[in-house]
Amino acid sequence: MNDASWIITSDLTKVYQTASVRLAALQGVNLRLGRGRFIGITGASGSGKSTLLNLLGGLDRPTRGTISVAGESISGLGRRELSLYRRHRVGMIFQSFNLIGSYTAADNVALPLLFDGVPKKLRRQRAAALLEEMGLADRMHHRPAELSGGEQQRVAIARALVNRPAILLADEPTGNLDSKTSLRIVTQLAHMQQGQNLTVLMISHEQALLKMVAHEIYCLEDGRIIEQETLRSEP
Amino acid sequence: MRITDSISQAFLNLRQKKLRTFLTTFGVVIGIGALVCMFAFGQGIQQSITENFEKMELFHYITVFSATDRQSSRFDHHDYDPDEPDLAEPPAAGDDSPGPILDDALIERIRRLPGVETVFAEIRFPILVRFGGRENFCLAQVLDAEVCRSGLLQLRAGDYYSDQDPNGLLVRDSLLRRLRIRDPQAALGQTLELCSLRIDLGILNPWKLAAIWRGERLPFSTESYRFQVRGVTGRSGTGGAVPIRSDVFLSPRAARPIKKINLTSLREFFPSPDQARGYSTLSVKVAGMEDIETVQGQLDDWHLNTFALIDRLEEFKKGFLFMDMFLFAIGMIAITVAALGIINTMTMSILERYKEIGIMKAVGAAHRDVKTIFFFECGAIGLLGGLFGLLLGIAVSLIINQVINHFAVQQGNPYMDYFRFPAWLCLGGIAFSILISLLAGIYPTYRAAAVDPVVALRHD
Repeated sequence: MNDASWIITSDLTKVYQTASVRLAALQGVNLRLGRGRFIGITGASGSGKSTLLNLLGGLDRPTRGTISVAGESISGLGRRELSLYRRHRVGMIFQSFNLIGSYTAADNVALPLLFDGVPKKLRRQRAAALLEEMGLADRMHHRPAELSGGEQQRVAIARALVNRPAILLADEPTGNLDSKTSLRIVTQLAHMQQGQNLTVLMISHEQALLKMVAHEIYCLEDGRIIEQETLRSEP
Repeated sequence: MRITDSISQAFLNLRQKKLRTFLTTFGVVIGIGALVCMFAFGQGIQQSITENFEKMELFHYITVFSATDRQSSRFDHHDYDPDEPDLAEPPAAGDDSPGPILDDALIERIRRLPGVETVFAEIRFPILVRFGGRENFCLAQVLDAEVCRSGLLQLRAGDYYSDQDPNGLLVRDSLLRRLRIRDPQAALGQTLELCSLRIDLGILNPWKLAAIWRGERLPFSTESYRFQVRGVTGRSGTGGAVPIRSDVFLSPRAARPIKKINLTSLREFFPSPDQARGYSTLSVKVAGMEDIETVQGQLDDWHLNTFALIDRLEEFKKGFLFMDMFLFAIGMIAITVAALGIINTMTMSILERYKEIGIMKAVGAAHRDVKTIFFFECGAIGLLGGLFGLLLGIAVSLIINQVINHFAVQQGNPYMDYFRFPAWLCLGGIAFSILISLLAGIYPTYRAAAVDPVVALRHD
């Protein structure tokens, strides 16, 4: 394992099988992703982008193939180890923000720390620092319903980063935002990625937006990578 | 996840759905309240009976029966077992005597035994008491003045009669109340008319005999005697080991002229030749419960048939245990309904928080964390239900206790605590509530932990 092959997927396949339908969401995907890179993933709906992110994020298990992160296979991890992997190594952000409506912005950000047994005082400090960094210092005690879409997504980013993960997985984070806010979010993500040497995998339909920040862009179709474009070689 | 966080998270989540939490917890409150009430009632009754028995010193009494009387009374019992050795086997050689006659000489002999406080013959007979145009049917008991003074009867007013007093008596305060005499002092010196039952010799008259034959009248007539109230007794004295309260007490001299039917034993109607010369039953009061065994052993050695209520204590305890189990079964019905309420609420909560569970898992919550959150929510419902259920149980018990006592005291019965709340019941009630809530939470909790985060995150 080296930084150039930090995340490796080999013959990664995911098949959803119901009583009558067999759907191959991913079919033998092989990837080698470098550490500290901003990776863009694009493709039509149903091409397998979200499935790939779910597998890399340890939310789902592959039907076949392996995933290794920093030389450690995550496809063979048990339930408990997989939850620890999600807690410590990965941060995830989603198109629909996925914040808990009854919690304040600060509580949402501090949620991953709660499961890690971090004391309440420290949780609050870390959440406050991240929200301040996101420009939401005055929104700390607001609930998601009281925040704009952009603000909610920034809270979600803060939550994804609160455990200082190495990988940030963003599933269409700008899908529900206007272009101006989308630009701000993506810029902020790129800033975080550079500042913390994060490996970011971001799904987006907006090619122009990806080209602004991504080192590489992968295009998926019917569960296969059909195109790879390297835009920047420097980390 | 820290325990403190789990607790605060549980209460935070429950606060989000106040009405539902309230209704679910209220179900538990009702269940625990009912259960605690039932148990407290069982405890109260048991303790009150035991305490009253001890207060009345019923466990200090040995009843001595004449040999013939006791044997025949055993045969009357429904649980008579012909295989019981002491009945089936013939008496041992030299042991075939009917036993000593229960007479004054025997009373004196028993009185001299170590540990014996008082001995007296049990002579009770029914009388009709008339005063101021009112009449009341009750029991009269013949007691020596010395026995009265031995602590058996507690005076509320006046003084004890003397053995030489031919027309003095003691009455119980409850009889006075029934005769509408509120102040015991006012009764002192008053003349009461006692009407005793006796066999009506008029049955020799063919007309009366015909009426008796047709069931139009009983073969009894009454005879009146006048007595003066010397003293008023309180509630403590029972006047013997049998927990029947007598209302009027007379000296043997005062009772002698009264033509009466002794109701102590039906054997009075069919006396044996020996019995004709003695009493049918004696009551022996010992100084302490520890003296029972020694004195009873001595009496048995004298071939007397004895009975001590303390021998029945284990049977009482068994009876109380059955009562507790019965009350527990009734209380469990309410608890079962409450537990179903918790299962329903928590299952609904999972459906509503399906996405939330997915989010928690996505940010790193393990199966155990999700289970812990839901278990603590169930536990919190149980804790609140237990606490408030206990309070409800106590409140309802107090009200019921007041209502029962209101009527009981009016009837001349002593004030009693029908409900008792020992510490183990209070703490046990809360612990049981938490336990039941956790058990009710097992299915919903495992269902929550099994939520697939990928599916849950797509859920709207």
